[in-house]
Amino acid sequence: MLKALTMDSYLPADAKTVLAQAKAGDPAGFEALYRAFEVPVYNLCRRICRTAEDAEDVLQETFLEICRSIGQYREDGSLWGWIRTIAASKALMRLRRNKYRDTDELHDEVVANRREDTHLRMDLEAALERLSETSRAVVWLHDVEGYTHEEIAVMMGKTPSFSKSQLARAHARLRRWLGEEVAA
Amino acid sequence: MSHLTLEQLVALREPGAEPGTQAAREHLNECGGCRAEFERLHQRVARLKSLPSLRPTRDRWPAVRARFESERRARRLRRAGLVGLAAAASVALAVASKRVYQPIPVATTAELSETMARSRALEAAIDRYHPESRVLDDHTARIAQELEDRIAAVDRQLEITDLMDANRRQAQELNLWRERVGLLDALVDVHLTRASNAGL
Repeated sequence: MLKALTMDSYLPADAKTVLAQAKAGDPAGFEALYRAFEVPVYNLCRRICRTAEDAEDVLQETFLEICRSIGQYREDGSLWGWIRTIAASKALMRLRRNKYRDTDELHDEVVANRREDTHLRMDLEAALERLSETSRAVVWLHDVEGYTHEEIAVMMGKTPSFSKSQLARAHARLRRWLGEEVAA
Repeated sequence: MSHLTLEQLVALREPGAEPGTQAAREHLNECGGCRAEFERLHQRVARLKSLPSLRPTRDRWPAVRARFESERRARRLRRAGLVGLAAAASVALAVASKRVYQPIPVATTAELSETMARSRALEAAIDRYHPESRVLDDHTARIAQELEDRIAAVDRQLEITDLMDANRRQAQELNLWRERVGLLDALVDVHLTRASNAGL
């Protein structure tokens, strides 16, 4: 929630005017929203999607959806929270559409075997990139964006247990790839 | 008790008590190894949160705007079709019932329908050029953008007229639709000029 409030500070000082303009269908209001939230939305999409191009497409789809449905934002929650949910849903939809998840298990195995063989220490950015799409999405949505397992389960069409186990597996891999494992 | 699994440590960060959490917490208090692992988990999450923000390489706003305006035009087109039908129906009803206390000026209604039809035809002509996928030079793009802005402003005014009483609405609507047709005409010219310059 703290993160959500902080993100709303991305809005210009005349946030109410911008929101009113957007709700009235004024392109200037929509553009001001785009400029304010372009980077956090793209960052979220990029952390979930496999490629930068996919992330840019999802960024575009997210703001198109915002333009279409800003009238439905009732201002009883943070604006960033509302926008973020649209972005996360669109990014997860993109993953489903590309059927990346169908090959997640295989991808995990290949990556895990390769890393265990080489004993390379990776930096966090590279390690995160190495995770399967599903695992990376769960880690990012839970640990960085602050979604609960129940919320992630709804967005992914899975169970909370699935989200929990994905998170634990992801941390096990990150720990190994970052060279943080210690002998018990 | 053996060391906590990573799944248990991850679960310990969740708010609320889950089965097994109490025992796990007690173990954590007593086991230095698990506390160190728990601390590393916290640090890893903190590092994830502090990763730099990634930025898009291209400005996607022009594409978002073009698609949204195109959708809005299509909605307006559909709405014009429905309003046109409704206007024709209301005239037919008024004539049939012969109980009109405030006569609707039939000429104005017909003119309104005609203007809306003209607007639809111009929108269809513009859509055939697929303006959102065309590359325009700066000057042409600026003129097209300005015309689109003015059309959007007229559309907003048309939405406001929905709240007016019937007679005032009809008078206002006709003027606004005429203005809209004029702007669309100019926009068609812009695209025609661009197409002929490009040899299309």
